[in-house]
Amino acid sequence: MAPAKPGDAAFANVDHVNAELFTLTYGAMVRQLLTDFEDVEEVNKQLDTMGYNIGIRLIDDFLSKANVTRCSEFRETADVIAKIGFKMFLGVTATVSNWNADFTECSLVLDDNPLVDFVELPETCQGLYYCNVLCGVIRGALEMVSMRTEVKWARDMLRGDDAYELRLKLIEHVAEEYPYKDDD
Amino acid sequence: MILCVAIVGQQNNPLYLQSFAGGDDVLKFHYIVHCSLDVFDEKASILRRTGTNLNDNFLGLLYPAEDYKVYGYMTNTRVKFVLVTSDLELKDLDIKTFFQRFHAAYIDVTSNPFHVPGKRIASPMFRDRVKTIVSSFGQL
Repeated sequence: MAPAKPGDAAFANVDHVNAELFTLTYGAMVRQLLTDFEDVEEVNKQLDTMGYNIGIRLIDDFLSKANVTRCSEFRETADVIAKIGFKMFLGVTATVSNWNADFTECSLVLDDNPLVDFVELPETCQGLYYCNVLCGVIRGALEMVSMRTEVKWARDMLRGDDAYELRLKLIEHVAEEYPYKDDD
Repeated sequence: MILCVAIVGQQNNPLYLQSFAGGDDVLKFHYIVHCSLDVFDEKASILRRTGTNLNDNFLGLLYPAEDYKVYGYMTNTRVKFVLVTSDLELKDLDIKTFFQRFHAAYIDVTSNPFHVPGKRIASPMFRDRVKTIVSSFGQL
């Protein structure tokens, strides 16, 4: 179990950006996507893809700075994401809960979500998962450390729910493949 | 009692109007707010001519009428806030605080990426927040 402290250290180690600039930039991007694609479902998909591309790059940055050891099981991975990953890149922490019986599926409940300050979804965009980029980031990052996952929003306050909850589901551990054989 | 608050954009286009008087007085308030716009221009041009640096956005009492008073506040981007009240004795400080909080709420609603600047504000969240600000008026 990772204590809260490593997260704080990692947070202090990275460069920070003004929260409002960040929120407005993200907002402008989502808006532009909506204008370009004109379809909420398509925008959800795009956000996820963008997140995925961020995630596969971000994981190396994370591993080199966060000072974490190899996770022995998926439960530990979820904790590291919630307590260190979120803290390092978003400045917030999440709570891990709702494990299923064989510990392959859990919920990450965000204590606070800096992406949605000021945001109010208009009626024409009710199907939008505004923060879908986060799903992609986690999926991409975990894929680079050989875990295939599925990440979805379970609850979203912008859509009238009472919390921000990500559902994280482990599909399989992908065995690491080496490009050469031992006896070559 | 605060009867009505309104926001008017740069081109004197109405952005927002909320009435607290009950009944169908909205039209009347549109009229009152519309009338106050001339006073805004007048005050602003006086300030410009005398070279007073408008560090303070609060313009004070715009005009009194028989049963209400109209106060104004103009941001540096020339968005105008108007307050219509039936209280005839009010402290300027209270009104100033009110406008500052109202301004803060306006800034937040315009920061919403889905809000188009220069368009009417139709956010229910903003409506509720203004209601809270109005109901806590004078209690600070």
